[in-house]
Amino acid sequence: MVHQTLEADTRLDDAFAALSDSTRRGILVQLGKGPATIGELAEPTGMTLTGLKKHVQVLEDAGLVTTAKVGRSRECRLGSERLDDVMSWVNFYQRLWERRLDGLEAYLTLQRGTDE
Amino acid sequence: MSDPTETLTLTMSRLIPATPAEVFDAYTDPEKQKIWFSLLSDEPGIVEIESDLRVGGVQTATWGPSRDELITEVQTFEVIDRPHRLVTTSRGHDPSGNSMETQIDVTFEDADGGTMMTVTQSGFPTVEMRDFFSTYVMVGAFDRIVAFFERAA
Repeated sequence: MVHQTLEADTRLDDAFAALSDSTRRGILVQLGKGPATIGELAEPTGMTLTGLKKHVQVLEDAGLVTTAKVGRSRECRLGSERLDDVMSWVNFYQRLWERRLDGLEAYLTLQRGTDE
Repeated sequence: MSDPTETLTLTMSRLIPATPAEVFDAYTDPEKQKIWFSLLSDEPGIVEIESDLRVGGVQTATWGPSRDELITEVQTFEVIDRPHRLVTTSRGHDPSGNSMETQIDVTFEDADGGTMMTVTQSGFPTVEMRDFFSTYVMVGAFDRIVAFFERAA
C-alpha cells in the first residue's frame, strides 16, 4: 500500500515537472490539435530532431504523451492517464466538501429543531 | 507570464443555521462528525474518525462503502482559533494508493442569525496545469469544475 502510494506520488511529480517547461507545453498544445510526427513537432520550434525527441521522451515518461512507430516515422499523441489522476482528486474534493457541508447543515438543523 | 508558484484554490461557502461555536464544535468533534458525515448517506458504510484537536495534533478520517474501498484523510492542525477559524494541512489517500497534499482554511463568521462557513482548499496543481486542462484536454469537464476554483492571491 505504501509502495503504491509512493509510485502514484512520483507519477504526479513527473507530470508536473514535465509541464513546467514551455517547450514541452508547446508540444502538448500542438498535439492537442491532433497526432504529429517528431519531424512535424520539431519544424515550428527550429529544434533538432534529437533535441525534440528528448522533450517527447520526458512527456512520455510522465504519461502525458504516447508514441508509436508509423512507417518510418514516430507518431506522437496526447496521453491523458496522469492528467486523469489530477482530475480525479479535483472531483473527489468537490464531492467531499459538498457532502460535508450538506451533512453538517442537516445535523445542525436537526439539532436546532430538537432544542426548540 | 503567470507565477509558477501559483496554485489552484477551491472555495465553497454555506450558511449554516447555528452559532459559530456550535458549527465549529460540530465540525471538529469526532463523535459529532461521525453522525453528520453519515447523515445523508444512502448506505451506512464505514466512517472512522480520530482527532487530537491541538496545534500539531492530527485528525485521521477513514470512510468508504467497504474495507476494500476506504478513503483516508489525515489532517494536521496548524491554526485553531475557536470559533472563528481552523487551518490544517491535509493528505488524502484513495483506495488505489493515490494521494494528494493540500492546505485547508475554514472560517466561521456570524451571518443572518447563522454562520457563514467558508472552506478554502489550496495546493492543487499549478496554473499551467489548469490552463492546459481548460484549453486542450477536458474543456467540458473543466468548465463545470472551474466555478469552484479561483487563482490564489
